[in-house]
Amino acid sequence: MNRYDKGLMIFILVSSLVMYTTMEWFVRSTTSDQIVAVVYSYDKEVLRIDLKVDKSYTVEGTLGTVTIEVLDRKVRVEKETSPYHLCSIQGWVSYANIPIVCLPNHIVIIIENGVLDPNDPDVSS
Amino acid sequence: MRKRSATRRMTLLTMLLAMSILLHMIEPALPIPVPGVKLGLANILGLITLYLFGVKEMMTINIMRVLMASLLRGIIFGTGFWLSMSGMLLSSLITIILFKQNKFTKIGISMASSAFHGVGQILALIFINNTVMMIYWLPMLWFSSVPTGYITGTLSIQVLKRLKVTERNRV
Repeated sequence: MNRYDKGLMIFILVSSLVMYTTMEWFVRSTTSDQIVAVVYSYDKEVLRIDLKVDKSYTVEGTLGTVTIEVLDRKVRVEKETSPYHLCSIQGWVSYANIPIVCLPNHIVIIIENGVLDPNDPDVSS
Repeated sequence: MRKRSATRRMTLLTMLLAMSILLHMIEPALPIPVPGVKLGLANILGLITLYLFGVKEMMTINIMRVLMASLLRGIIFGTGFWLSMSGMLLSSLITIILFKQNKFTKIGISMASSAFHGVGQILALIFINNTVMMIYWLPMLWFSSVPTGYITGTLSIQVLKRLKVTERNRV
């Protein structure tokens, strides 16, 4: 490694830390008590989950049923059908800056602030 | 003599393509605890092609690799294909720029290539899922590009050393 490589390495490490800190600060400063996890399937919102209620939900993914679990204001994909099970391996997520992406099932779970829709249509729990 | 050289060149390129497709396909099976992070072993072959042949050949190998591996896995023009393609195009672009500058070693080029591969994938994800939230993956992918780029760069150096390839000794 020469000095240009070292400079590049330092730039990448520092900029990733700066990006992470900025995003973390932004999320923390804009997160209120009303936290919801929004589940998208093919870019369409299919489920809005109140993270204050510990419960399991299921949504239909491309390859089968995706089971989503909420516990202590954290959300995870408990069970899904996919070749490598990356989104269930990801485990619990509690911040809005960490989306859960189940690419083979076209399911994306994003924690957002917002009011819970009482007439939520596609919920099956 | 010229014909023999052309045959040798074609054979070498075909072998490099076959190896890169193989690495591209087996890599998702390697257990890495961080979701979304991969070593990028197939990029080693791209870098080796760049130093053995040149820019045009590297682009050919990389594009063919993504196309053929996606065809073999049955995900052509699916989400995974576009992620691979966009990541590969952006990482190849930065690889070419840094290679032409002639200031960075293979390790530095690998690190930058790995970092911009992540950027390309995030841009594709933002476009496909139509949500800017995907950008929150960027710091992790950007950070992981240092160890992954170091590993792939070191492996490329070792392979090229064993092939005894220098700038004057190009195929």
